[in-house]
Amino acid sequence: MKVSKWKSTIFIAPFLVCFGLFWLAPFVYGIYMSLHKLSLTRGNMGFIGLQNFLDLFNKDSMYSEAFFLGLKNTVIFVLVSVPLLVLISLGLALLVDNLPKKVQGFFRTVFFMSYAVSVTSVSAIFVWLFSGNGGFLNNMLVKMHIISQPVPWLEAQPLALIVLVITTIWWTIGFNMMLFINALNGIDTALYEASSIDGANFWNQFKSIIFPGIKSVFAFVTLTTVIASFNVFGQPQLITKGGPTQTTKSLIMVIQQTIFDGNNLGMGTAMALLMGVVVMVFALLQNFLTREKKELKGEK
Amino acid sequence: MTTKKIISTLMAGAAACSMILTGVGAQGVTEVKADDKVQIRFLNGFTGGDGEYMRKITDGFNESQDKYEIVESQEKDHYLKFKSGEYDLVVIHGDRLKTFADDGMIQDVSSVYEKAGIELTDYLEAAQEIVQIDGTTYAFPLDIHPLVMFYNKQLCPEAPKTYEDIKALNEELQAKDPNTYAMGVPGLGLVEYYYMTLANQNGIELQDGEALKFDTEEFADVLMTFHDMVFTDKVSPSKLGLDGEFKTFVQDEESAGGTQTAIALTGPWYYQAAKEKYGDDLGIAPVPTLGKEKGVYGNAHTIAVPSRVEDEEVLDGIAEFMKYLYTPENLINWADAGQAPTHIATMEAIQKEADKYPLACANYEQFENCKIAPQVYNVGEQLKYLNENVFNMVVSTEDLTKEDLMKELEKATKTAQQVAEGF
Repeated sequence: MKVSKWKSTIFIAPFLVCFGLFWLAPFVYGIYMSLHKLSLTRGNMGFIGLQNFLDLFNKDSMYSEAFFLGLKNTVIFVLVSVPLLVLISLGLALLVDNLPKKVQGFFRTVFFMSYAVSVTSVSAIFVWLFSGNGGFLNNMLVKMHIISQPVPWLEAQPLALIVLVITTIWWTIGFNMMLFINALNGIDTALYEASSIDGANFWNQFKSIIFPGIKSVFAFVTLTTVIASFNVFGQPQLITKGGPTQTTKSLIMVIQQTIFDGNNLGMGTAMALLMGVVVMVFALLQNFLTREKKELKGEK
Repeated sequence: MTTKKIISTLMAGAAACSMILTGVGAQGVTEVKADDKVQIRFLNGFTGGDGEYMRKITDGFNESQDKYEIVESQEKDHYLKFKSGEYDLVVIHGDRLKTFADDGMIQDVSSVYEKAGIELTDYLEAAQEIVQIDGTTYAFPLDIHPLVMFYNKQLCPEAPKTYEDIKALNEELQAKDPNTYAMGVPGLGLVEYYYMTLANQNGIELQDGEALKFDTEEFADVLMTFHDMVFTDKVSPSKLGLDGEFKTFVQDEESAGGTQTAIALTGPWYYQAAKEKYGDDLGIAPVPTLGKEKGVYGNAHTIAVPSRVEDEEVLDGIAEFMKYLYTPENLINWADAGQAPTHIATMEAIQKEADKYPLACANYEQFENCKIAPQVYNVGEQLKYLNENVFNMVVSTEDLTKEDLMKELEKATKTAQQVAEGF
């Protein structure tokens, strides 16, 4: 069927309008703001070129210090949380996939349910669980004589980071698990049967059937989890307030405070753009590593 | 593709665009009048227990009026709303007035005072100073809320007055139960109230021109006092974290391994929660002298008028509301919320009923020696590094030396200077 140009343009017009309004315009306006001395309260005080970006790389600037502190904390969080978020959700997906068909739906729902809870509620639950003084976990451990003194879960490192990672895993694991379950469902069951006849154990099956079958979903899950972890905000904001001694203050928290507490909209958008570049570098790096493996195997 | 489908697609696109544009445009629309009443949009951050008492006042005003109506918004992030929205009346903390005045976001309200028939001298002197920036009156004082002491009469029959009293109390409590301490020093939260109170008691001025200066021997000593309270005198458990001073005070005695404290130096806004926990066993008293002489740090609520409000009818309505608010029988509702109004006539009415308003009266005792944050630009940002990093380090690092601390204080000073120079 031949569709005329104007008809196809009409078809993509709603997308183009939305793309322009909600992505392109804010992005271009963000670049514009980052090149200006722009205050949330005093308005635009003029074009300053790349000064905001230069300040971010000037180690004497408080913005530079805040940005790189936030970046360091966020990268640590990403490095610790992403492998766990991906591997545990994969493990959970394999577990659910191997359950009797009758109960699979029930467990899928149970594990996915936490994802539907708001970050505010999740944080309130975990603060109650991990409070240093009088928290549920400490009370239980003391009563069971496992510890004699309460553990300062939220007041000392690396415990505070561990709590944030546990919270994030509990909260978001269901989403990744669902993606993996869908990918596992796409693998031909005949392959499992044939490999069993050949005497393959679970590990052999995982290596030769399961992982190659879900590889593209695995890469996608890793990429989206990296991006989501870079954007961590709610958990440290509500559970640790960035403490102890700013060690859980994420980059998004730094950007939010620069704009809304410091009123520096220009610097805040410069930070956000730079953060976008960092996330993009991570994404490209991951893409590069995946492609390299394909080339080694002679795949095209 | 049929014409019908194309038309449907176009209509859906048009509807989506109109919704988007309506949303964008709505921000700029100002509706001042409804039902023939002039509406005054009043923004505040009273989202805690005090909100219902302010609502009682505004409802009372609305019932008494056929010309003006207060439309009250109680928002958690009310400063953010103020920066991005349109309001006619805004509650601003005393320490932020200078910043909003410098940013041109609030206006001189002398003419509103005049219209309302209110004099600045109707308020306590300390409150008068808070609302005046460089000789201009920018707001109406509402209250001052200094750090206050709550104590559990079961553990501490008499309120300690000095640091020596606290040490003696701690010794006594520790002898009975090693999990019971005299007080708690928080790692995050009200920390600014703690070090500013001791700085005030030791007569230390932090303001140096337009910025704050922390890297002095005297101020390092102030911070090291809190370090010693935790690690040398051990009058407080360590690593209490956010709002730890109050959480340990209301700690359940049954809690396994948890620590409890007999007194809490905390904010008056915790009064209702403390009263609920201890009932008649709750004692309220001024903050003990931890340093050289009596002194305390506090903040204040003030009511300001945004610069954009020019409509004479709205300004008349604001004046009418102020006339209503600053009448003892109306403003006393604010004392019911546990606050300490600074309107002299209301203060006198409250003091006559001291049994009914123990918290306000305890705070009045402190007003004479109360200081609020120095009037510098964006004081919150100037104090941020100290609040979020340095103080936490002081009360959680046992082997911290004064030299280590001085390095951090130099950093805090440098940050404060950059904030002051910011715009």
